[in-house]
Amino acid sequence: MNIKGRKMKKILLLVVLSVFTGGYVLLGQTVVITGTVTSSVEAEGPVSGAAVVAKGTTLGTLTNADGKYSIAVPQSVTTLVFSFIGMKKVEVEISGRNVIDLVMEPDLLGLDEVVVTALGVSRERKSLGYAVQDIKEDVIERAGNSDLSAALQGKLAGIDIKQSSGMPGASSQIVIRGARSFTGNNTPLYVIDGMPIASTADIQAGAGGDFSVAGDGVTGTDIANRAVDINPNDIESINILKGQAAAALYGIRASNGVVIITTKSGRGNPMGKPIISFTHTSAFSEVSRTPDYQSTWAQGNYGAFVPNLSFSWGPKIVDLPDDPVYGGNANGHPGQYRVPQLEEAQLENPWVTPEISNGWKDFFGTGYSVSNSLSASQATETGNFSLGLSQTSQNGIAPSTGMDRWNGKASTERKLNPNFNVGFTANFSHTNIDKLPSANDAALNGAYASPRHYNLKDWPYAVPGDPYDQIYFRSLTFDNPYWAAEHNVFNEKTDRFFGTGYINYAGTLSEGMRVRLKYQIGTDLYTTHYTDIFEFGHRDLTGEIDNYGITSRTLNSLFTFNYDWNINDDLNFNLMLGNEFNHDFLKTYSESGEVFNFGGWPHIQNANTVTANESKNQYRTIGTFGSISADWRSMIFLSATGRYDIVSSMPRGNRSFFYPSASLGFVVSELGNLQSSEWLSFAKLRFSYAEVGQAGQYLENYYTKPNYSGGFWSGEPITYPIGGINSYIPNNVHYDPNLKPQNTKSYEAGTELKFFNNRLGIDYTYSRQNVVDQIFAVPLAGSTGASQLVINGGKLHTVSHEVILYLVPVSTSGFTWDINVNFSKLTNIVDELAEGVESIFLGGFVTPQVRAGIGTTYPVIYGTTYDRDADGNIIVEDIPGAFNHGMPRPGEPGVIGTVSPDFILGGSSTFSYRNWSLNAVVEWKNGGQMYSGSNGLLYLYGLAKPTEDRESTFIVDGVKPDGTPNDIVRGGPNDPDAIQDLYTNILTNIDEFYIYENSFVKLREVSLRYKTAKKLFGSAGLGITAFARNFLLWTTLPNFDPESTQGNTNMGGSFERFSMPQTSSVGFSVDLTF
Amino acid sequence: MRKALKIFLAALLTILWSCSEDLMDKINENVNDPTNIDSRLIITDAMTSTAFSVLGSDLAFYSSIYAEHNAGIFGQFYNAEIRASEPISSTTYNNSWVSVYNNLYNLKVIREKCAEGGSEEGNYHTLGIAQILTVVNLATLTDLMGDVPWSQALQPGGIFTPPLDNQAAIYAEITGLLDDAIANLEQESVFPSLDEQDLVYGGNTEGWTMLAYGLKARYAMRLSLRTPAYNDVITFADQSFTEPDEQAVYSYNGATTTSPFYRIFTDRNYFAASQSLLNKLEERNDPRVDIFWMPHPDGSSDDLIFAPNGTPNQGQDFYSVSAISNPTAPTYLMSYHEVEFLKAEAYARLNQIPAAETALRNAIIAAFGKENIGLTEEEADAYFEDEVLSRFNADPVSEIMNQKYIAFFEEESIEAYNDIRRLRAMGEDVIELENPKNTTQFPLRFTYGSSDVTTNQNVRGAYGDGSYVFTENVWWAGGTR
Repeated sequence: MNIKGRKMKKILLLVVLSVFTGGYVLLGQTVVITGTVTSSVEAEGPVSGAAVVAKGTTLGTLTNADGKYSIAVPQSVTTLVFSFIGMKKVEVEISGRNVIDLVMEPDLLGLDEVVVTALGVSRERKSLGYAVQDIKEDVIERAGNSDLSAALQGKLAGIDIKQSSGMPGASSQIVIRGARSFTGNNTPLYVIDGMPIASTADIQAGAGGDFSVAGDGVTGTDIANRAVDINPNDIESINILKGQAAAALYGIRASNGVVIITTKSGRGNPMGKPIISFTHTSAFSEVSRTPDYQSTWAQGNYGAFVPNLSFSWGPKIVDLPDDPVYGGNANGHPGQYRVPQLEEAQLENPWVTPEISNGWKDFFGTGYSVSNSLSASQATETGNFSLGLSQTSQNGIAPSTGMDRWNGKASTERKLNPNFNVGFTANFSHTNIDKLPSANDAALNGAYASPRHYNLKDWPYAVPGDPYDQIYFRSLTFDNPYWAAEHNVFNEKTDRFFGTGYINYAGTLSEGMRVRLKYQIGTDLYTTHYTDIFEFGHRDLTGEIDNYGITSRTLNSLFTFNYDWNINDDLNFNLMLGNEFNHDFLKTYSESGEVFNFGGWPHIQNANTVTANESKNQYRTIGTFGSISADWRSMIFLSATGRYDIVSSMPRGNRSFFYPSASLGFVVSELGNLQSSEWLSFAKLRFSYAEVGQAGQYLENYYTKPNYSGGFWSGEPITYPIGGINSYIPNNVHYDPNLKPQNTKSYEAGTELKFFNNRLGIDYTYSRQNVVDQIFAVPLAGSTGASQLVINGGKLHTVSHEVILYLVPVSTSGFTWDINVNFSKLTNIVDELAEGVESIFLGGFVTPQVRAGIGTTYPVIYGTTYDRDADGNIIVEDIPGAFNHGMPRPGEPGVIGTVSPDFILGGSSTFSYRNWSLNAVVEWKNGGQMYSGSNGLLYLYGLAKPTEDRESTFIVDGVKPDGTPNDIVRGGPNDPDAIQDLYTNILTNIDEFYIYENSFVKLREVSLRYKTAKKLFGSAGLGITAFARNFLLWTTLPNFDPESTQGNTNMGGSFERFSMPQTSSVGFSVDLTF
Repeated sequence: MRKALKIFLAALLTILWSCSEDLMDKINENVNDPTNIDSRLIITDAMTSTAFSVLGSDLAFYSSIYAEHNAGIFGQFYNAEIRASEPISSTTYNNSWVSVYNNLYNLKVIREKCAEGGSEEGNYHTLGIAQILTVVNLATLTDLMGDVPWSQALQPGGIFTPPLDNQAAIYAEITGLLDDAIANLEQESVFPSLDEQDLVYGGNTEGWTMLAYGLKARYAMRLSLRTPAYNDVITFADQSFTEPDEQAVYSYNGATTTSPFYRIFTDRNYFAASQSLLNKLEERNDPRVDIFWMPHPDGSSDDLIFAPNGTPNQGQDFYSVSAISNPTAPTYLMSYHEVEFLKAEAYARLNQIPAAETALRNAIIAAFGKENIGLTEEEADAYFEDEVLSRFNADPVSEIMNQKYIAFFEEESIEAYNDIRRLRAMGEDVIELENPKNTTQFPLRFTYGSSDVTTNQNVRGAYGDGSYVFTENVWWAGGTR
């Protein structure tokens, strides 16, 4: 930290201290009141941890394990307020009493439920003028997921959660109400215990170790996003601020919504009693789908056996012994054929009898995941603490994939006196992930597409005596997956600390007026080291190594001032003012080595060409904000906020922006004649408007070191310095000096209805986000001499419909049945792009690729179409004698697929009977398409099941150029090459052939839980859960799981090519509480 | 409340102090990259990229398929071979398109720095070299693609959709740039020599001047259909290279820099030995048969297997491959043998046969002595006497062009492809090609890059659906654009 920074910290500290000296409110004469709080539900007995507050002051206490409390209050206080989560709030007049016992009623409507909103402000749920949705720990932990985003799938409305694969540590994306940025970050801000933390990946998949560029998503490995460091077991609750109005106080970082996570702190524990709990979870996983392969044809080309070709367009496997070159029938090995790879492996007998193998099934094994957590917590009258340690180990279904994660956590809060309290939370994590690459670098190519007769698993993958000389069934543009799993390394390791400390003052100015001042300072520190090693012998070449990494340090200081005024029984007023200071410092490095001298020492020292790079970046955001809110008769709730942000990353003069928001909540059911309704328990209307922006990154145009990777090249054919000589060229991304922040205007309206004493509830929200002045790197025409210009250049909008429906069909004293349904329909439309720009590249190949395009939903898949007539019929070639006679022809490049689903529906159902509960979560994604490279390539390779019949004639569905229906018969015994030509020379060049709808219905979770009644033995409680995840799958996508795709960026979920597969798991967990 | 107000004011002051524009500028300062740099450090990569990315890579690879130096037997090269989509697709040459314009932009930055009023005014030698490199990039582009954006190109953020300039105008510009370059290289300069930053000539301006004259000869010859000027060709060529040591080559060290044809073999393995080129060598008992090719190192045959042009089987590791694609095989900005071939052709066309014969002999000796061929002058002489001379006497131009065609295997395939198109346009189809697709689908030119086709309506209009590549010649080959 520089001197200025240190000075600033000091000043801040002074400011804070000055707040707290002299802010002490002296108390007058006091009376002590004691009593016991019990629940009206017989089995529950005393209520422990209920809050008892002297109304109009900040004085309060909690009930102990026996429900007893004791509170000293000034004589001026006339009323005590009792509250407890899940119970109705009660106000009791003291009327001179010293003992007040109380029976609390369960709050079936949840009206008094308090939710944490922006910047740590707690609000009663009913007061909100915008949609929020929260999830409690039991729902997160139910199916033993070690990945947070997976644990949320199917449980939230308006939110699209995309997982890239079932590989341990695989990236996933949470997108709330669609995208606001074409190429930038569309994931929400994560705030844990008040500290905003990094949740995205620092580097894009396919960026080749360069942190500053966009990745194509089709080379190298997936990169985990930083939410992977969070242990779901530490979480007490998650609250999602979906709309911009809800998140407005967070300013520019909140345009994608906010995920507010509260970790377990011991706060809600029974008073005084230490609680120690231990949880063990084991899960076993398998690949979720196995493709259907043809099982007749051997490797080769046009019916001939070619033992080093990727194609399986050879002879019938049973006919291999007849092959003129490799067959054994004429060579003294009847019924057998010679395998040149076995000769290469110097086996004495290279002759084998034809057999069928399944490279896919053989390669993927059973994954095992185990996690253990231990935690201790205690709540006392003067505070609470919690300590936790957990460890998760996962072995993936593919060899050499896995994750190890350690999480440690400590938090404590302490009341210093009636006005002051302090606290801190500290989290440590260590994450170690081993991965395998996909797409262009996919070792899995062989697992997906090895010829059926080739025994990939058992036949040697290297020459004896030279482990770096690979043996493979095809050319080494891809590595043998077994060799790759043994020798190549793709690892990422992260050590992370984040936490906050705070000091809080609460005091009473006069009756009905309270103030609260809070200063919090926090940090999020982590270092990630990535290692990508292609060992000597990779692609039959000399290998390469990339070490790269990032150190990120965020300092966040937050000061808030709150003023509450109960003007009278009907009218309340709240004012909040605050300041936030956020500074990020990032340092990245990369070391690349090419050309190893020899195998077995995959180290940068063994590389003959070494290049290195580093970069340092800083970002500062300073926000000043305020909100005012007022409510009248618990019926009308008004709120307005404003935030003024100044950011460092924009050009001088365009650094500051102001964002307002306003919301209204109207509890209709408080109206006189509705109050007495038998069937309508609660009804509320919500309206809100908000503006939030996103800043871009402006830099003065600069020079950079030339880069020669990409195109046809694997690795870099030219690296500077060349013989000690360097060179620098104008960077091909230019920056518009007039860059201004992009702005999102958001409108939201919704209603919340509860019927029949809360047995049925519906929450519907409509929202529309208009994003203007979208900042992105506009692709320039190559002839301008640069490739991109960072500019305000686009407009898009999102319309979302979210419905949450819950129903309790049965509720008796022993048995309950709950149903919860979340429906989301999100439409994301690109309205406008900068002049001359028709679309923007998000990822993929030269063709096909994922793009954002004008007038279409976001994103789309772009590539070579089929040549079609005006009616959309596929036109076939009509050139008798030509190889493509009667076959489709490639059309112009265009949109070949739209990614967005029509809707996503998640449903869960829970049956509870005494100590048992049975839960199931189903998710249905309807509509939407993806590029399934693996499906298309199974045809190219001649392995897809439909290529089994190669002897019948066929007519391609379409029309001839003259418009008449196609009647050209191809194939059959006299035209044996036609079927292969169709797949290897025609359809493989038409990207549209690779597009599939990927609707699916998945049984995400099923869990059965048994929890013993309290005090099973001594004070111990035991819970046992059995669960299954991703079990039943119905999908329109053939052969593969639709949730197996490339990329950790905005192309995620839409592009697949030898991607890591998804898994299905079963497991159990045991939890013990003392 | 008053206290709270005080605190708030204090906090406000702190905030204002911690976010002044100057401080924010400092925070946003780019400490990782320079915002200004001397031209000597820029021009080095203009040379590397011109050699590797423009002359050495994709354009040369596809030229070598259409000129039948190599046969494409897998992936994109196979598609180009069988004329499936690649020749008409705008994505095929996009990487090269972008590389050429990036180079031209870098060179424009250098030219502006070194020009009058620039920060390095008077840096004549760097200016001259930048002008020559500009010509190499621009001419390569227009030769392959015809009318291209030029006069209004290279203004990123200024002009988003540069219009096309016609090829005749661009050729006039090329001549002017070369004359300027020669004049600039003759000037005295107070700026230090480029020395080792010059990866072609090590700062030797005479080499660059000879290259400029060689290029003048090449481009004068290119316009033979429009404005024959064979005496000019000879005049220019005479001021160019006089021996192989003087030629303009970009060398690769095989470690941090690798030859593109070698690299495309190791990284993609998409090429096979061409039957049609073999036929020309076999006709002439050319000793280079054993040097040009080898069986595929991962293949199962020890014999040379040649791919039939236009109809190979798609599959790797089967056919034989080039044996001269080695890690250090150079890229020629212009070779000495090309200069001699140009002279030979010009003399032959002027019917000065003995002079043509001398030039042809020199050219063949130089071609035999290329560093990845390694045949001696004696071997070249013997070949010339036994095989070439009689053919030369029968049809001088035909033999000169066929010898040039063979000599250009494989690094100079772009020039081979340019020659083929020029000869066809002049009605002298003397280099026999065998791809059966050529009857209807010989690519007369390369498509524009998709980077412009998708963002620049001027280029998109000219591109249409891409099928023009089979029907429309470039201007110097008799076309209109």
